[in-house]
Amino acid sequence: MTNDLHHLSGAYALDALDDEERRAFEAHLAECERCADEVAGFQATVGELADAVAVGPPPSLKASLLAEVAQTRQVPPVVPERVVDLAERRRRRAPRPRLLAAVAAAVVVLVGIASAARLTASDPVEAVLDADDAVTVSLDTVAADPADLGLDAAALEVVWSPALGRAVIVGDGLVDPGQSMAYELWYLADDGSVAPAGLFVPDGGEIDEVLDLDPYDGVPVGWGVTIEPDTGSAQPTGEVLFAGTA
Amino acid sequence: MGDVHPFNRHSDAPPPDVTPIGGTRSDRSADEAVALMARVARGDEAAFSALYDVLAAVVHGVVLRVIRNPAQAEEVTQEVFLEIWRLAPRYDASKGSPKAWSCAIAHRRAVDRVRSEQAARDREDRDHARTPEAADPVSEAIADRFLTQRVRDGLDALTDLQRSAIELAYYGGHTYREVAVLLDIAEGTAKTRIRDGLIRLRDHLGVTP
Repeated sequence: MTNDLHHLSGAYALDALDDEERRAFEAHLAECERCADEVAGFQATVGELADAVAVGPPPSLKASLLAEVAQTRQVPPVVPERVVDLAERRRRRAPRPRLLAAVAAAVVVLVGIASAARLTASDPVEAVLDADDAVTVSLDTVAADPADLGLDAAALEVVWSPALGRAVIVGDGLVDPGQSMAYELWYLADDGSVAPAGLFVPDGGEIDEVLDLDPYDGVPVGWGVTIEPDTGSAQPTGEVLFAGTA
Repeated sequence: MGDVHPFNRHSDAPPPDVTPIGGTRSDRSADEAVALMARVARGDEAAFSALYDVLAAVVHGVVLRVIRNPAQAEEVTQEVFLEIWRLAPRYDASKGSPKAWSCAIAHRRAVDRVRSEQAARDREDRDHARTPEAADPVSEAIADRFLTQRVRDGLDALTDLQRSAIELAYYGGHTYREVAVLLDIAEGTAKTRIRDGLIRLRDHLGVTP
């Protein structure tokens, strides 16, 4: 399958894939440097094929285009990710003050799964990140129209330690969820059921709180985030904005 | 079960239709275009007008080639430039020249247009649903007179099958599966010929990303 995907690079560069394959290849492209390089070279080559058929549009087109441009808003630029690099953090084991500075820009929510014992580690976030069994899950933006929601620059990661029964969610670029609303994290169990994993509200981009949750013994196979009333919902009612699989 | 749950939904990646790349031999005009693009990103309409002058022929050429109908092609060309304007703040010069970026947007738009129209026709007329359009004969897919010498040399370096597959996919706007039907070859072969043909063409043209 993976091998098959490599061979789609040429067809991708020529827009010769159907929608489904295109999506599959684009997901692959994000992870495969070799294919990304190859596609880059192909797209430059394709530019030459385009040159070969250049023909100017009628002059009238420009005037109507410029009139339309004057009334069309541009997308905002992509702001460089400020998400804390978890791997880097784990490696360098920064002293606490420096660590706090490092997280300052990030939304950090500590989530206790299984009715959590009181925190014992001096830095509960670090305890989860450093756990031997810590699993990092990137949540992708899956909202239908992220730009519309102001979430197109948002990034979220869940790091979860089965042994500790806790997860840390690190994120950035979240917008205010609205009056009396909060983000709610969900996990998807392997039996297909969905359970709440905690509420969080970014406050000027910063948050650091501990949530007590219903005991949960299974292993999450997926995670999702919706916006819910700030009292929490039993099941997701809002659009799934972020999702990732374990 | 799990795979229909929204949490498992595949991320609708942000428009990676905008990942093109490409340095070209005309590095100077490429640099100028990059500079214009930076100004366009800041909302400079005069810069956009200048960028349009640089790119209009190549963008419209691609669109017209794929769509063929001049009136529709003009419509799509206008859409493409509006898209270039809108997305300029997200343009990343490290991923390719403005020309390659714009051409990729243009080709994608043109292909989307012909495919959605084809899908609509197919819905109206189920009888024809499975047959790709009666196809430009390969020889017509790209008339020699349109080719620059440089690209002609590049295409000449390909095998017949590689050349036909690339021309049908790029200029014809066909999927590789349609290319396979048109050339009466296996889908896997079409996929492979497109890829190794592009590799050869890339090496022949000395294109660097």
